[in-house]
Amino acid sequence: MLSGQRERPGSYLQNIKQRMMKDFFSAKTALSVLYFVAGMVILGGIWALISKITKNEIPSPQATWLVFKEVMHNPMQNDPDYKGIGTKLFSSLGRVAIGFGLGSLLAIPLGLLMGSSKIAMNMVNPIVQILKPVSPLAWFPLGLAIFQDSPKASIFMIFICSLWPTLINAAFGASHIPQDHKNVSKAFGFSKFKYLTKILLPFSLPHIITGLRLSIGVAWMVIVAGEMLSGGQGLGYFVWEEGFNGGNIAKILVAIIIIGAVGSLLDRCFTWLQARFSYAI
Amino acid sequence: METTPPNNITAIADELLEEAISSDKSIEVKNVTVSFKTAKGVYTAVKEIDLTVQKGEIITLIGHSGCGKSTLMGTISGMVKPTSGEVIANGKKVSAPGPDRGIVFQNYSLLPWLTVYKNIYVAVDSALKDKTAAEKTALVESNLKMVNLWEHKDKLPGQLSGGMKQRVAIARAFSINPKILLLDEPFGALDALTKSSMHVELLKLWNLDHREKTIVMVTHDIEEAIFLSDRVVVMNNGPAATIKEIVDVPLARPRNKKDIVHDPVYMTIHDKLLNLLIDKFSIDD
Repeated sequence: MLSGQRERPGSYLQNIKQRMMKDFFSAKTALSVLYFVAGMVILGGIWALISKITKNEIPSPQATWLVFKEVMHNPMQNDPDYKGIGTKLFSSLGRVAIGFGLGSLLAIPLGLLMGSSKIAMNMVNPIVQILKPVSPLAWFPLGLAIFQDSPKASIFMIFICSLWPTLINAAFGASHIPQDHKNVSKAFGFSKFKYLTKILLPFSLPHIITGLRLSIGVAWMVIVAGEMLSGGQGLGYFVWEEGFNGGNIAKILVAIIIIGAVGSLLDRCFTWLQARFSYAI
Repeated sequence: METTPPNNITAIADELLEEAISSDKSIEVKNVTVSFKTAKGVYTAVKEIDLTVQKGEIITLIGHSGCGKSTLMGTISGMVKPTSGEVIANGKKVSAPGPDRGIVFQNYSLLPWLTVYKNIYVAVDSALKDKTAAEKTALVESNLKMVNLWEHKDKLPGQLSGGMKQRVAIARAFSINPKILLLDEPFGALDALTKSSMHVELLKLWNLDHREKTIVMVTHDIEEAIFLSDRVVVMNNGPAATIKEIVDVPLARPRNKKDIVHDPVYMTIHDKLLNLLIDKFSIDD
């Protein structure tokens, strides 16, 4: 599967290197960096203005920067009474990984099955349509009731919420296999297994990755809410306890920046995967 | 006592003769009708078609778009089930596609995520289950070399031109060594120059194989039909299309693309086919 691309990792990496070197020094890159900086300056300006209007109720960028540095001091601290921001971040990421991983493990095969079989589609689709619009927060108490454990409840919440985009996209991919590809399978007598590995999976893969990208976005959004409810752990707890209850708004802003940056990084990873596994027809 | 009744001898002789004749038959289309259920009712694509193709013969099915030539071809490949009648290929009734019939599709139908090499290998691997891995590899290699694409074996289909893609598709069909080769408008999407060289290349492959493969090709190109085939089957317009006429092409092989067009026989056949296919040759003034 996609082995054509995998067989030449050397030349592939070399290509990327060359492209990056070329791009890095091009005027186009310089310009886009300039625009990025300009955008940040404008945002910072608005932020500073709001801070001034609210009489520092919302801390200024400089004040937030000081808190950021303080928060970033010894981020991996992992004492029973205090955990650093990095430790909190990784505990959040860990729960997202487990929930998202389990969700994907169920969503991918089920989606492919739905896309391949009308019966499975008619059976599962109505259920999906009913469960999909339910707010992630509604699943939390149910998880709590099932597992009697709040971290597990937030994993459960992420599991449920990261199911749908992957499921729907996998089903879409599997149900849109071109007749041409099916004809090849018929003409040369592909076995069921060969059809699965040489046609169904490779064709659906870009769709699955799109689904995963949407799912990880949802999961990352949901984890903060989950941890606010469950307490004790992770970035959500940091926002709620140390930020809001601790009366330190700057910490909330720092958390927002970190959450946003990590979220966009996760998205980037899946965008990269998408580009990696797309193919020209 | 050696008093075998003479009528028995002739019966046996007849049977042997029958067998000898029928073994030369590659494809028999017997009274085939194909109808589809559509929203507007039953649509009959082809009606009561009879056609016999000899072993090693090249025939083309020609007709206007939508005349059912691809449908007729589909009944031979096993992709389309006849509503009534039957098709016998290589002495067996066709019920599904099989490795004794290689198919080349109009739009190449290569799997875009597999390299040229792997595209052919999966086909060989599926169709020829009894062969060893080494034999399969050898088949893929020799067929890719035959169409001069060995140096492109690691490319993905998206990196190839239309002509190259179709050569891969042809190599794929040849590599499972089918007795019958079915080509559904294989060169329809190619430019005229590429098309010409593909014709020569196809005949070269057929020659290399001692002209033993039966080739049935769907086309709407008259020149292509005459250059390649022994017989041209002209179809009526659908719905319920039938065979209008079968035109023999008694031109000696190997045929030369450049010289053949000056051959009076070629010109006669060309005119005949034009008359069969086109009603109007100029505008009324």
